[in-house]
Amino acid sequence: MMQISSTFGTLSAGDAGASAGARPTWPVGALGALTALSLAALLIALAAAGLDARTLNGESVWAKPARFAASFALFFATLALVAARLSPRAQASRGLRAAVAVLAAAFLYEIGYIHVQAARGVSSHFNFATLAAEIHFALMGIGAVALMVYVGAIGVLAGRDSDARLGPGLRRGVRLGFLWSAALTILAGVSIALMGGPLTGAPPPDAAALPLLGWSGAVGDLRPAHFLALHAMQAGPLLGLWADRRGWPVARVRQALLSYAALTLAVYAQALAGYPLLAL
Amino acid sequence: MSWEGLYSLLNLSAVFGWLLLIAAPRHWRLLGLVPRYVVPGAIAVVYSGLMAAHYAQSGGGYGSLEAVRRLMAHDPVLLAGWAHFLAFDLVVGVLLAERMDRVGVGRVLQAPALIATFLFGPIGWLLGLATEAGARWRGRLVAEA
Repeated sequence: MMQISSTFGTLSAGDAGASAGARPTWPVGALGALTALSLAALLIALAAAGLDARTLNGESVWAKPARFAASFALFFATLALVAARLSPRAQASRGLRAAVAVLAAAFLYEIGYIHVQAARGVSSHFNFATLAAEIHFALMGIGAVALMVYVGAIGVLAGRDSDARLGPGLRRGVRLGFLWSAALTILAGVSIALMGGPLTGAPPPDAAALPLLGWSGAVGDLRPAHFLALHAMQAGPLLGLWADRRGWPVARVRQALLSYAALTLAVYAQALAGYPLLAL
Repeated sequence: MSWEGLYSLLNLSAVFGWLLLIAAPRHWRLLGLVPRYVVPGAIAVVYSGLMAAHYAQSGGGYGSLEAVRRLMAHDPVLLAGWAHFLAFDLVVGVLLAERMDRVGVGRVLQAPALIATFLFGPIGWLLGLATEAGARWRGRLVAEA
């Protein structure tokens, strides 16, 4: 294990969470590096947004790359913080190594393609203009599902790792949050793909949308549900941390996360029924 | 901001970095970070944005002189090219200064190589290497004497 960590030690962006002075094994360091790469991608998108007048669907062509990069930064930071608390055995496990390898590959492909398409001024998702664009869209879908499946897998791995430095509430929060996130994000994402877009109605041409997020204020939009689903992986651990600090029983974490999942499903149903999250 | 305005801003920040590198006291560590990281970093961010936003639009490429001409015919990409010069020349200048410091070249003797790097990149780099080699040779002569 020490051999692995010294070989890949230079990759690690932050080993503050590693136990008692030991260097993190490469999957933990790689998750830190992927967080930094996401922030670099965000910086490029923001710089480009300030220098590019082109728009797509009423917003800067760089709005979407920026949203994806910010979202990936939060995604990998969460995973890195959780992975840093796993036992050395779990950190070096084949399961975590496979998960991080798949996450890295899917992320690099997805963020790379989204940035390239923005640079070309065309859309990345739902682009059927050429065969290549269609294939890329399909591959991104597969990549997105893979990302979420492995988040769920890491949640299970953390839940089972009895030597992990996780309090009882945090352990439950990580496991359930990651699992809910995987299941509900795949549900929302597949729904968006099958319906040919996030909107469940035809908005009037001058329809209002939420700033930054771009969610429709006129018709049903599946993106709020996708947002809540994706961020269950932050909500779960944060709730668990709070529960441990307050000395809440573990059952309350489970109940609260069940409510969160129910809320997500309600927002999902609201969009399917054709109503906007907030009518603007 | 117009491209001309952005050009002036980039030039100004590069000149500021070069002035610090050539004239500022080395023992103020924080000041040293400006030419080393702050100025090249800021220019690099602008470069990234310009290229991401305008490379594809220009219709040019790297494959032939004609493709490069198409790139440079597009003002924001031309500006990105200039930003590339500014950032990389300064980074090379920092490396040269560090190497010349290490072999004990005085600040006044460093100046010609650094100024040449600012104005004519590769010429200054050659001059810097020559200055450094001269200092090493002098050091050997002194040691043998």
